[in-house]
Amino acid sequence: MTVTSGTAASRRIFRRGAAFRDAGPPVALVVLFLIFAALSPQFRSIENVQNIVDAAAVLAVVTCGITFVLMMGSIDLSAAGVMGASALTVSLLVANNRNDNDLGLLGIAVAVVLGCAFGCLSGLALVLLKVPSFMATLGVSAIGLGVATLMFAGVQPNITDAMLKSWAIERFLGLSYLTWIAAACILVGWLIQRYTRLGRYAFAIGGAEEVLTLSGVKVKPYKVAVFALAGAFYGLGGVMVTSQLGAGLVQAGNGYDFSAITAAVVGGTLLTGGRGGVLHSAVGVVLVMVLTNGLVQIGVSPYWQGGVEGLIVVAAVAAAVIPQRRRNQVVK
Amino acid sequence: MSTPVAVQPVAEPATGRNGPRPAQRLTGFMPLIALVALVAALAVADPDFLTARSLTAVARTAAPLIVLAAGATLIVLCGGIDLSIAALASLTTVLLALWLPALGGLATPVVIAVAAAIGAVQGLAHVLLRIPSFIVTLGGMSILSAVALVVSGAGTVRVVDDTPVAWLELYLGGYVPMSAAMALLVVALIAAVLKATPLQSWISATGYSESAARLAGTPVDLVKIGAFCVSGACAGFAAVMLVSRQYSGGPTMADNLLLPAVAAIVVGGTAITGGHGSLWRSLAGALVVTLLRVGLPIVGVPSAYEQILYGVIIVVAVALTLDWSKVSIIK
Amino acid sequence: MSVPAEREPTTSAPVPALEVRGLVKHYPGVKALDGVDLVVHQHEVLGLAGENGAGKSTLLKALVGLVTPDAGEIYVRGEAVKLRSVVDAADHGIGMVFQEQSLVPNLTAAENILLGGEGGAVRRGVYRWDVMRRLAQEQLDKIGSKIDPLARTDSLSFADRQMVEIAKVLRIEQRSQHPPVIILDEPTSVLESKEIETLFAQIRRLREFASVVFVSHRLDEVLDVCDRVAVLRNGQSVGEVATAGAVPRELHRMMIGSTGSDDHYHENAATAVEAEQPRLSVRGLSGQTFHDIDLDVAAGEIVAIVGVHGSGREDVCRALFGAEPTTGGEIRMDGKKISLPNTRAACAAGIGYVPAERKTEGMVGPMSVADNMTLTKQKARCSGPFVAPGKQAGLVDRWIERLSIRTPGRDTPIQRLSGGNQQKVVLARWLVGGDIRLLLLDHPTRGLDIGARSEVYRLMRELAANGVATVLLADSLEEAIGMADRILVMNDGRVVAEVACPNGGKPSPLDLVKEMV
Repeated sequence: MTVTSGTAASRRIFRRGAAFRDAGPPVALVVLFLIFAALSPQFRSIENVQNIVDAAAVLAVVTCGITFVLMMGSIDLSAAGVMGASALTVSLLVANNRNDNDLGLLGIAVAVVLGCAFGCLSGLALVLLKVPSFMATLGVSAIGLGVATLMFAGVQPNITDAMLKSWAIERFLGLSYLTWIAAACILVGWLIQRYTRLGRYAFAIGGAEEVLTLSGVKVKPYKVAVFALAGAFYGLGGVMVTSQLGAGLVQAGNGYDFSAITAAVVGGTLLTGGRGGVLHSAVGVVLVMVLTNGLVQIGVSPYWQGGVEGLIVVAAVAAAVIPQRRRNQVVK
Repeated sequence: MSTPVAVQPVAEPATGRNGPRPAQRLTGFMPLIALVALVAALAVADPDFLTARSLTAVARTAAPLIVLAAGATLIVLCGGIDLSIAALASLTTVLLALWLPALGGLATPVVIAVAAAIGAVQGLAHVLLRIPSFIVTLGGMSILSAVALVVSGAGTVRVVDDTPVAWLELYLGGYVPMSAAMALLVVALIAAVLKATPLQSWISATGYSESAARLAGTPVDLVKIGAFCVSGACAGFAAVMLVSRQYSGGPTMADNLLLPAVAAIVVGGTAITGGHGSLWRSLAGALVVTLLRVGLPIVGVPSAYEQILYGVIIVVAVALTLDWSKVSIIK
Repeated sequence: MSVPAEREPTTSAPVPALEVRGLVKHYPGVKALDGVDLVVHQHEVLGLAGENGAGKSTLLKALVGLVTPDAGEIYVRGEAVKLRSVVDAADHGIGMVFQEQSLVPNLTAAENILLGGEGGAVRRGVYRWDVMRRLAQEQLDKIGSKIDPLARTDSLSFADRQMVEIAKVLRIEQRSQHPPVIILDEPTSVLESKEIETLFAQIRRLREFASVVFVSHRLDEVLDVCDRVAVLRNGQSVGEVATAGAVPRELHRMMIGSTGSDDHYHENAATAVEAEQPRLSVRGLSGQTFHDIDLDVAAGEIVAIVGVHGSGREDVCRALFGAEPTTGGEIRMDGKKISLPNTRAACAAGIGYVPAERKTEGMVGPMSVADNMTLTKQKARCSGPFVAPGKQAGLVDRWIERLSIRTPGRDTPIQRLSGGNQQKVVLARWLVGGDIRLLLLDHPTRGLDIGARSEVYRLMRELAANGVATVLLADSLEEAIGMADRILVMNDGRVVAEVACPNGGKPSPLDLVKEMV
């Protein structure tokens, strides 16, 4: 038998039931798109489709990060705080109106590393202090917001760095640079998930953590690393928001934590872990963006966006739980 | 498949080492120690702190937080969490501000009832759909915020005639703010009802070991829904207090109370794993959190540190109060 | 090099692959292992037999480092070793195929096989799928399995997953550079008979390059596949049998031993059952793991249900209490139908349930003895809607005395009591209301010492004498025969036999075993 290449192998590992299940979100995406396209002429315009894709960029990056955490069966509510901190960091490190820094790419790298550090903090609180992830990340989010507020210090830093500003404005093949960055992130995320021990173990931890322990795998470092990886993605997300806004805001990440969970869950990632992945989440992101954009286009108040996301999360989780009901199962 | 029995802790010794760990013994007094230490520190830092004026100010600030934390404590005692309390309170301020002109004095009980009903719906979703409580309430938070934005038009709703809620701004005996007294009353009332009825047993059993409680015929589902319902009502009452202070309702008015409320619960020493804790502890926790909030500027720390402090407090307090023996794998 | 003559291994008896001497393991109140000796020769399939609670699983866990023995030695190829973890054991060439499979369902078979020791398949954290595939294929080839190494594990059949598990265990060969010792814990309990044939062929193949310890409830299988069988009873080795020409009956006699002549089960206290209308009447009860269960229990009668692991008897017991979903059938108490599945309705109808997992399901550990005892029958401690502390104290103290529960006080957290006293509190929970009519006892004496067992038995007799009907899932056949008036045998989710078990006319365990397997 010839040795199969990676992609062929990846196709092979999906069984039929899973393939059917995986087809759900893309089909829903197409159906939803067609419905809105039929209802609203603005929706089906090229500009609007560009809008949707561009607007999805930041969410896609954040969701990419959170997907790894969710795959382990943990949860991460720290995106908002981490993004705020990284937004302020980058805006104070690249050329801006508050100080004389002009670090350019290095500043961006520092912001991403900061995000990584926050993720590390969540992970360490989880594995060393045994604080459940939703609590640990809630705390880390607060810390991130606090750090951001400290850096904000009452005066909004507006960025003047041409490169960072161009990310949100310049277009390549009709899509903004941010969108291409997001696409690259998805690709990197997929490679990590598919070809690295970190990604595979994150997947396995969600599937059967106790088996890993029993096989002599030390899972704790991997858990911390996964949170750190997620933090790096949030950090980059914060940078991207700063590019969009042209300024560093504490609220840069507002709502992204929940939207990212929504997108991941809708894309088919289970909150109990062990299922889903970066590509699933990418579909989920577009699905969420199409839904929120479409609703606005047909005249629903944009304020409903959070409500719609809340409903989908609850519905998606409930739908995923139904086949798993076991006797006397404890749900906290 | 594949949950090997082998990795479960084998037959833990039943005697001796199951007593409270030193850390747990310490956390038993932690809120009180922290409270006394804080008051002492603030009194030293600012001699004016121990005057009636600043103490009543602290009490008034603490009141909504106490009520909010008290309600959510019930859910934590059952082993769950309610992340929607602040959003629910915000929504309720909007509803109250909108309904006051039409309903007058009736508006207060009506909005509290509505908040209780919303809480109960979340409880039902948690129990019937078997979704983890933090997801239900996270979704709930998002939905309630959206509703608040929509009904308020994303702006502050002014209250022109606040007589129906002005009584909360009175002072009992000239010194004790009515809102603080009411907060105390809410805590005392709920705590007394729990203690005097089988509810206390049921809640503890549900929180400590849901499967054991179920197999002992405890109405676990009803207890949980009830807890969510009371938590909702408390959020509603906290909203009434906020409106009476601010003469308005706003779609994000109470949102910044979520972290302090969660911090109050865990600082009080109520274990996030369920079972262990009480409403009185959350009362102490809420006072600690409020003192920190009020005290930071007094000792010259920028209030930006407030958020960081909440974050640290939540992580550390949860770690200290967690029942490690109960959870073998922590996600 | 000079070696003392007596230490020199004789050519006729090579060093055993694995040897255990005087292994002891205590749990509170129980001696799980009480000086076990065991020898596993190289290239041998050794069977391990023993009743539930004989110490088999503790012994196996000690062999793979999941349990640290209190005393005794484990020798691997003649060398004393301390095994602290599964990895430790693997380094010494001992591996186990767990009863409940230990594979990560959402990984590929190859990843599972190489888990924890990927070798060249992962370079600097990056997977090389082609190498991984090749390495896994090598393992699978050893056992002649045709599974695609890159298939997702949860897409494989149960038997195939077992092959993956064996292939995974065989990886320890590379680790220790010696012929491995493979332990198979109840590998056949969920397999079809054809799959069992394949597995047995596999085991015989393993013998070529490994030693195998085979554990199964099914004695005919043990005799079929093993060269030698060691028997455990009450945590001790009671002997071994060469399988050539042996029959299950012989083995079983060793497993059970001689029944003591003392009145351990308080049989004198057994009362005759008057058969009128049955108290509990079950018709056609079906669920996921059991089908068409018919069961009648009269007031004052003790009915035991026996069956091997996987027979579905535990699920039936839970279904009777409304704690397990059912797909059909009905349950009547004194002729009145009970709504299903609803534990509250069951409680209201006077049904009580003592779960097998006392620590996690039976009691609420941190709560006091008093609160645990009155958890179900709240009315008994309340006046109107309110708890009456005085009433509760009196009630609890009365039952503490009546069941002679040894506790520092009624407010002591129940987790500080010994197992036997905990169990008595759990039992008392159903008695304090004074309205108990049917008790479902799921392994009520599990983990209790002899004295505590005896007290539980006496209490059961007393309740039966007072007209309480009892369904018992006994810890051992001996216990079932000793306590029951009637025994139902379950196999594969169905009741396959009913054996009368009156005082003076008790059946022998062998009569039951015949039906169980």
